[in-house]
Amino acid sequence: MPAEHIIKSYDEELARLNKMVVEMGGLAESQLAAAIDAVVKRDSALAVRVVEGDAAVDQLERELDNLAIRLFALRQPMARDLREIFVALKIASDLERICDYAANVAKRSIALSQAPPVQLVHALPRMAQFALLLVKDVIDAYVEHDADKALDVWMRDEELDQMYSSLFREFLTYMMEDPRTIGACTHLLFMAKNIERIGDHATNIAENLYYLVHGTPLTQARPKGDKSSLEVVAPDRAQGR
Amino acid sequence: MISPTARPIAAEEPDSADPTGVDEAPPRQQRRPLAAPPIAALVQRKPEGAEAARVETPAVKVDIRHVNFFYGKFHALRDISIPLHDRRVTAFIGPSRCGKSTLLRILNRIYELYPGQAATGEVILDGDNILAPGLDVNRLRGKIGMVFQKPTPFPMSIHDNIAFGIRLYERVPKSELDDRVESALRRAALWDEVKNKLRDSGLSLSGGQQQRLCIARAIAIEPEVLLLDEPASALDPISTQRIEELVAELKTDYCIAIVTHNMQQAARSSDYTAFLYLGELVEFDETETIFTHPRVRRTEDYITGRFG
Repeated sequence: MPAEHIIKSYDEELARLNKMVVEMGGLAESQLAAAIDAVVKRDSALAVRVVEGDAAVDQLERELDNLAIRLFALRQPMARDLREIFVALKIASDLERICDYAANVAKRSIALSQAPPVQLVHALPRMAQFALLLVKDVIDAYVEHDADKALDVWMRDEELDQMYSSLFREFLTYMMEDPRTIGACTHLLFMAKNIERIGDHATNIAENLYYLVHGTPLTQARPKGDKSSLEVVAPDRAQGR
Repeated sequence: MISPTARPIAAEEPDSADPTGVDEAPPRQQRRPLAAPPIAALVQRKPEGAEAARVETPAVKVDIRHVNFFYGKFHALRDISIPLHDRRVTAFIGPSRCGKSTLLRILNRIYELYPGQAATGEVILDGDNILAPGLDVNRLRGKIGMVFQKPTPFPMSIHDNIAFGIRLYERVPKSELDDRVESALRRAALWDEVKNKLRDSGLSLSGGQQQRLCIARAIAIEPEVLLLDEPASALDPISTQRIEELVAELKTDYCIAIVTHNMQQAARSSDYTAFLYLGELVEFDETETIFTHPRVRRTEDYITGRFG
């Protein structure tokens, strides 16, 4: 925070808002980390805890919304303060989505654990770890209000997109080679997509943080690494391998 | 967004010495150079389309150029330059004793009534320097109307409050005078409330009505510039909103300058905002910029309520 407000309780409320965003960020990190763990260790009990843990995040978001509304109504924030509150609201909703995706990954891991292990399962945690790092870094950037660090996350999401594209191709090929894996691979595909979306939300947070710090939006189109939506794998090509 | 004719003025760089003498840590956003090349390259500051679609800014009606003001030996305003655009509202904001009311008082030379007060520099209204010694002050005040913080109706009827000013400047036949009174009261959104009691004393009206009566009186002489010195600060919220609505309507015809302590009011009702502090102009820009991302740190501290 720059200089203090003349009204002390205003500063206290803004600090509380900040703390709530960081707390939500911490929850998003731990939920995602636990979801990855559940996949790797085929630990259904852990997965259930992640799914149940999502309620706490939703509760925290509601509290944060209330505080933000209260600040808007009572303080009539201007300039930087206005951006601070507006951006906290937006970041909170991105974090809430990240937690939803983490919970979905955990939920699918339960189904996955009941099927025989698929060799490709190991590719997923690698991608998930990368997404986790993006989330962690963007929250660190928020704590420090560091726009450069946010920009770095914003750029790195391209790599996550590329990882998703190649995973997508691998899963398709795998399913064609051995139709018995289709069940597991479909779950894995959705999980990969969820993780790719988590990266997009981290990017959103980075953009909002940039706006918070500089007061101007980050407008240039982000480099896109995910080409999977254009992907077609012809059956004969797959079988020819 | 800065239009081509509006001159944004930042009197000092954000990093300059703080005259309050308070040693503060630099704000987070300034620790890094804002225009560091890799970031700047990614940021498009102005959307070209929106800029092109903008309505052209009306010409400068009153140009305040390098104005200094002295109360005896006290240097109350230092080298102030602000353009006031026609058919636009310009707000002067700043803490008490920053010089904003003084600046308004220069614009119609009210200060001349008091000994020991002097202004230097130029205030150009339609090509003439308002501050020039030979200027006809009565004619000037016919062009520039003023409304004060406290409603100041004359102790006479509502009708005569308006007619008094008109008679001062023009010879108007009785029938036309009544029309002029009516149209001024209508313009000031007061007509419907007073049309059946025009002979009642102006002092019998409520505070908000009195203030609108004063605005009606000011516009009855058909001025070109309207100066409002905290016109709503003594009024209740409903009356305040009426005055703000009135300002929004009047700006289609006048160049308006408004002094206000109410930040939200300045943000809502003005097109341009000048922030003054200790007699100096700290920042002048479009109101939207001043209240969303001002360029000078001290402006931001003031509008966000961080002023020590």
